[in-house]
Amino acid sequence: MAADWWRLLPDLTRREIRNRLINSSSGWLWLVVTPLLLLAVYGFVFGVIFNARVPEGLDVPFVAWLAVALWPWLAFSEGLLRGSQSILQHSGLISKVALPRELLVLSSQSAVFVLHMIGYSVVLVAVQVLGTDLAWHALPFALLVLATLYVFGLGLGLMLAALQVFVRDLEQVLPTLVLFWFFMTPILYAPEILPGNMDWWLQFNPITWWMEEIRAALFTGKWLPDLIFVWLVIGSVATFAAGIGLFRRLSPSFEDFL
Amino acid sequence: MSSVLLRLEGIGKTYPPTVHPGERFRAFWQLLTRGQSTGGTNVLEDISLEVRPGQSMGIIGANGAGKSTLLKIITGVLAPTCGTIERQGSSAALLELGAGFDEEYTGMENLHMNAAFLGLSREQIAENLDDILAFADIGDSIHEPVKHYSSGMVVRLGFAVVASVRPDLLITDEVLAVGDESFQKKCIRWIEDYINRGGTLLMVSHNMYQVQKLCQQAMWLDDGKARAHGDVFDVTQAYLAWHERRDAEEVLSHTPHDNPDLYAARRLQVQGMEQGEPQVAMGEELTIEVEASSPDGREPVVVIGIVRADGTPVYGVGNDFDEVPLERIGERRFKALFVLPDVSLLPGGYAVRGHVLDPEGLRLHDTREMGFTVTGKTREVGLVRLNHAWRHHE
Repeated sequence: MAADWWRLLPDLTRREIRNRLINSSSGWLWLVVTPLLLLAVYGFVFGVIFNARVPEGLDVPFVAWLAVALWPWLAFSEGLLRGSQSILQHSGLISKVALPRELLVLSSQSAVFVLHMIGYSVVLVAVQVLGTDLAWHALPFALLVLATLYVFGLGLGLMLAALQVFVRDLEQVLPTLVLFWFFMTPILYAPEILPGNMDWWLQFNPITWWMEEIRAALFTGKWLPDLIFVWLVIGSVATFAAGIGLFRRLSPSFEDFL
Repeated sequence: MSSVLLRLEGIGKTYPPTVHPGERFRAFWQLLTRGQSTGGTNVLEDISLEVRPGQSMGIIGANGAGKSTLLKIITGVLAPTCGTIERQGSSAALLELGAGFDEEYTGMENLHMNAAFLGLSREQIAENLDDILAFADIGDSIHEPVKHYSSGMVVRLGFAVVASVRPDLLITDEVLAVGDESFQKKCIRWIEDYINRGGTLLMVSHNMYQVQKLCQQAMWLDDGKARAHGDVFDVTQAYLAWHERRDAEEVLSHTPHDNPDLYAARRLQVQGMEQGEPQVAMGEELTIEVEASSPDGREPVVVIGIVRADGTPVYGVGNDFDEVPLERIGERRFKALFVLPDVSLLPGGYAVRGHVLDPEGLRLHDTREMGFTVTGKTREVGLVRLNHAWRHHE
């Protein structure tokens, strides 16, 4: 029976994706248009108004530099928020159908990830078309890095989803925390522009490492896994194991607290 | 097939306190560190049962007795606080209306999802689709969002999906009470066919007739405990008797008085039992003994009444009607021995009333009452079995 349940994950994920698109008549078109519009807005605000700079030694427009890291962050952070709400959101289903509850968290996070990865592809193609050369031969490595980010996000999402059943306040606090995390990660800025030795602290933010790996892959063509990548794999798998462990310990009692 | 589809042992459930955020956080911490939380409300205590293939079981009990909680535990939606559950074979549950339907989606999408929850693969769903749609019989509405459905349509669709799965164990919770007459009949026909083909049913119902018809066993839950468990007729009759008695208690206020200046009923005994509730099987002999005291030594009149447990009179007769004197057992004491050689009461809860009247048989002085249960296996309805015969026109 346990193996059977995992068949449901693609079904549930598909359902989540359809759920996001269900109310717009041309939902699939927006999947392409929205990222392009967003890219234009960021290009205008940061490239034209703020005239933001990329780190020294790189010869790419700021918008391209931002976009390569921004979409993985969007996939990660939105997945985290959605995943952490998924148990409360599906409480009706939980009280009627006996299915492994982790499927609900995994499917909602996967749906977000899939949608943002579609947007990411569109954005990367647009960046290339607009004249910034990306290191396409490093794409497989970049995808591996994204995969570990996905697994890391699932682990955190499972923990937060379980916690949120008991501590409802999390729903209010989490978006702000995620926004704070966004600014504490070198996505909008390069670590070097921080004053003093503040950039030293950034290495304690795990997402920093992911962002640097992805940028290194797509801009400087790093295509071989290195030690950092090994740590990302270990870190994400450990987080996932901890997340599913915590979730499974608490999930039998969810129904009591919903 | 294995010998047991479902086995529950010592199942208990306590709902933790969840009102204050502090309590929730404490429960969270306890679950994390010790695997269980303390405090809360007990809703189920020490429930053990076994369901074997072909031995359908009905779960009955008053509102709030814990029936739905028990079903949720059996289906795995809710984890028990203590005890173990073993399940074998496939099972499907139909809890409440359209379990697991998402209102925003169309009936077709919900059908697919629900069938997948029940373990059907994509190919199996495609194969069974026509049958499901035919059974649900909701026409083109299948392409409408479920939020536009009537409650009857939701049940039809939910039942149709479950029907297509044909699980080894089917678990239902009062769902048959919804839907119109013809759909209910269709469901009952389906369930009967399912049972005849070796299916097993676990149902919660307030309809004793349905339980008796579909199940071989029953469990009566009262305030979270199993008050009776076993043969469906014994359990349902005891349950109905209890209900009738409870209704009667609210209506009847009897005050047996021991005033020495009045004619009084000193003792009422049924079937020689000193305590506990007497039982008699239908068709057997029932003996009732009444002892009366008389302040002046004159012989009082004793009237014996049989009432159903809710107080509906069934039969009454006095010793003066039959012109049989009481037996004198003391200077001011008399005894009546009343025998029904062939109890024709239908199974259920009844009470005997022994009334003591003055010697003229005009004024009622005292009444004693005692409940008893008539047992037996029959689906006849009413109070008593009337002599009858079925004939053909010649």
